[in-house]
Amino acid sequence: MLNTIVELLNKAKVCAWSVTAQKTRGWEFYFIRHALDQNRVRDVEHFTVTVYQQIEDGKYVGSASAELHPTSSPEEAAALIDSLAYRATLVKNEPFTLVPAYEEEKESAAPIDTAAIAADFLSTMKSLPETETEDINSYELFVSEKTTRVLNSNGLDVSDRAAASMLEVIVNARRGGHEIELYRAFTSGSCDAEGLRRELVKAMATGRDRLQTRPTPNLGKADVLFSTKAACDIYYFFLARLDAANIYHKFSDWQPGVPIAEDVRGDKVSVRTLRSLPNSSANARHDAEGSRVRETLLMEDDVPQRFIGSRRYACYLGLEDSFIPGNVAFSGGTHTEEELRKGPYLEAVEFSDFQVDDMTGDVFGELRLGYWHDGEKVIPVSGGSVSGSMFDYLKAMEMSAAQTQYNRFLIPSLTLLRGVTVTGAEKEE
Amino acid sequence: MKAPFSPYLSGIKGGLQKLLALLRQDYDYVSILATDSKGLSVRISQRARSVSSETMTTERGVVVRVYRKGQYSEYALNEFDPAAPEAAAEQIRAELKRQEETLEAVGAAVYETAMLPDEPLTLFVEKETGELPESSDVKALVERLSALSARGMTLGEDMLDCILRAQSTHICKLFLTENRDLSQSYVYSEGNVAAVASREGRTQMGYEGVSGLCGPELFSQLEHKLPRAVACAEELLDAGRIEPGEYEIITSPEVTGLIAHEAFGHGVEMDMFVKNRALGKEYIGKRVGSELVTMHEGALCAENVTSYAFDDEGTLAGDVIEIENGILKTGICDALSALRLGGEPTGNGKRENFEHKVYTRMTNTVFDSGDDTLEDMIASVKRGYLLEGMESGMEDPKHWGIQCIIKLGREIVDGKLTGKIVAPIIMTGYVPDLLGSISMRSGDREIFGTGGCGKGYKEWVKVTDGGPYLKTKARLG
Repeated sequence: MLNTIVELLNKAKVCAWSVTAQKTRGWEFYFIRHALDQNRVRDVEHFTVTVYQQIEDGKYVGSASAELHPTSSPEEAAALIDSLAYRATLVKNEPFTLVPAYEEEKESAAPIDTAAIAADFLSTMKSLPETETEDINSYELFVSEKTTRVLNSNGLDVSDRAAASMLEVIVNARRGGHEIELYRAFTSGSCDAEGLRRELVKAMATGRDRLQTRPTPNLGKADVLFSTKAACDIYYFFLARLDAANIYHKFSDWQPGVPIAEDVRGDKVSVRTLRSLPNSSANARHDAEGSRVRETLLMEDDVPQRFIGSRRYACYLGLEDSFIPGNVAFSGGTHTEEELRKGPYLEAVEFSDFQVDDMTGDVFGELRLGYWHDGEKVIPVSGGSVSGSMFDYLKAMEMSAAQTQYNRFLIPSLTLLRGVTVTGAEKEE
Repeated sequence: MKAPFSPYLSGIKGGLQKLLALLRQDYDYVSILATDSKGLSVRISQRARSVSSETMTTERGVVVRVYRKGQYSEYALNEFDPAAPEAAAEQIRAELKRQEETLEAVGAAVYETAMLPDEPLTLFVEKETGELPESSDVKALVERLSALSARGMTLGEDMLDCILRAQSTHICKLFLTENRDLSQSYVYSEGNVAAVASREGRTQMGYEGVSGLCGPELFSQLEHKLPRAVACAEELLDAGRIEPGEYEIITSPEVTGLIAHEAFGHGVEMDMFVKNRALGKEYIGKRVGSELVTMHEGALCAENVTSYAFDDEGTLAGDVIEIENGILKTGICDALSALRLGGEPTGNGKRENFEHKVYTRMTNTVFDSGDDTLEDMIASVKRGYLLEGMESGMEDPKHWGIQCIIKLGREIVDGKLTGKIVAPIIMTGYVPDLLGSISMRSGDREIFGTGGCGKGYKEWVKVTDGGPYLKTKARLG
């Protein structure tokens, strides 16, 4: 099918084209407790085609895209490409170029054994040290081999093949007639049995704590320590504001060489893209457009060094060697755990859905489990919410030097935001 | 005009029926869902414009469900050759056998389930639409949206961008079993205006949307939404922060819909009952809200983006009263969960697309209206907020917590709007407290269908929700 598409595109009256072919061979298993609810196979291939047209002698470039199905007849495919060629003349954008052809680095293609990866996950789940009071409610496992090939009219032809896994687990803990649940999701390449077991054992302990929570007190402004995966959303804020599209659209006003905040009293953040991280599902030689993935410093000590993003916006901003980042490391923490855990603070562990809006800077999340460290005791709390603005927190944010990896993000293990609004769950008098 | 059923699906139907017959030699039950949904998506902003034939629900593929010895398995593929059903059958048998060997090797037990009934039924539905996305006048649409974007920029002093998005999808689905032959074709559309305003380093977005069970003709309604979206963005630039606490609130229909969706939409998805993950299971027949709370759910409840004739398991669309005068009556259920719970499916078995598993999912989730006026409701508030615009929400069916992120609140003091605005707002609380405090509801109601709904953090499907203005109490931060 791909050959037919390329042949049709070469004949089409367009100034440029690109095609992404993504093949997925996936296995899925759904369990209720440890009994199989359903097993599934995904065996699909998707072709996404984009065509480009020059408008007004190259003053503008237009584009239009569509998925071309593998079951499309040659006539259907030709008609779709014709229609895209017309539609591309209707939208005027600033001109840009596609990724140029380059010689692909040779990499040994290790075989991916989906069955073996799935078996590792399933065996690990069966071997967890469950008890009468803490156990696994249900889980869903997705293991796949994904092959992505990107071609364009510049002669680019690159491909990546990788294993991608996702395990979603619901953990229960109960005491008396009261039962709670915790949600955990693990995204990775293959199965890290030891890490998975460690995290799920920790989740069961967290479940025990959640059973004995009190309503979160009305703290007004408090220091909040993030010690779990939710902190990734804090760090994604930095990455999004360094994204070329957000810069171009003026949704981010950060500038190269200009500090992102003034009078910073806390730690300063550095951001670096990485080619690979251990067992990350984002390990790839190329991004979705075929650009080569590199190790690049994006921000150093709160000062943006360069922006990054898709080819189109990189062209608009004049960025060389840009790409859509996969793995990213965030650093700059100078503190030990002991230093960050001084004084009264709320440790936020579980949220309903923690969010950081990269455009407005708004931070919010309902607290499902936290630990209120009042200086003497540690009290498990739940309910209420944390909220505020990242732009306020930048000045006094503190981080641990130690780092933790959450799939494609390597972030400080502990992040302390000062002066966060904590709306309690205690009943008002 | 009628939305015509897919010629592609009609063309492969014979091959699929042969595949079904071949698989029936090895399995006790076989169903096939085949999809062919085309779309149009146009996005226009001041600095970037795009046209695509893909939307959230465009797809073409086949998913086969088989049953044997208490176990259900599925195989999703998108390269079915109707001339070679034998090859597909062999491929499906072989790969599912490999999975079973892996499961046996790790000693996995099966959650044994009875076989789905297969009562004979034939249905062919082509719903009405004004236009089709695949033959729509894209040039005219791009010009219209470009003009609206340009006009939006003139409506506010601090406008940074005005983004118009229009999407239309022509859904075609074919469901086959040994005794069932169901076909449906319908078109839904959705559009929105996102006005972005910026001043002194602060950036805010105002958002307004339209949706309906119709074609791209819907987009003419976007013009009326433009001034309100721009006004919202500009107002947000001057918004203050709320003092955290419990307040009397009036929820706009959009926020009412968010509450319906998060509070008792997810809370009564009965696949969660099977897993003992929803507190609602223990509250059937019990009070969960005030006398003023009546809530409907079902594809037949409204004509909007998810108003299908049958769901992805071949169950006909329904209309369920989930809560009646504050009493939880029943939940919604997919077919497998109904078998496991000993109940009846309600037509709520939905997939993100053919590649994904069926879960119990919402369609139209709507609070019933009352007979109060908005003016009387505002006049009755001593100190509180009129809440408008939704950002997001998160369900918690196990503990009945609720998190709603709301665009803004308009302050009410002594029965009058003061003109002061606070934003953003996070509303949290315990669902029965929130619904139990509902004391007034307006006579009108609106339904919104521009968003998507996830199950947890994945499995995105189209849903709508809505209702009237409601007066209640909630904790705001």
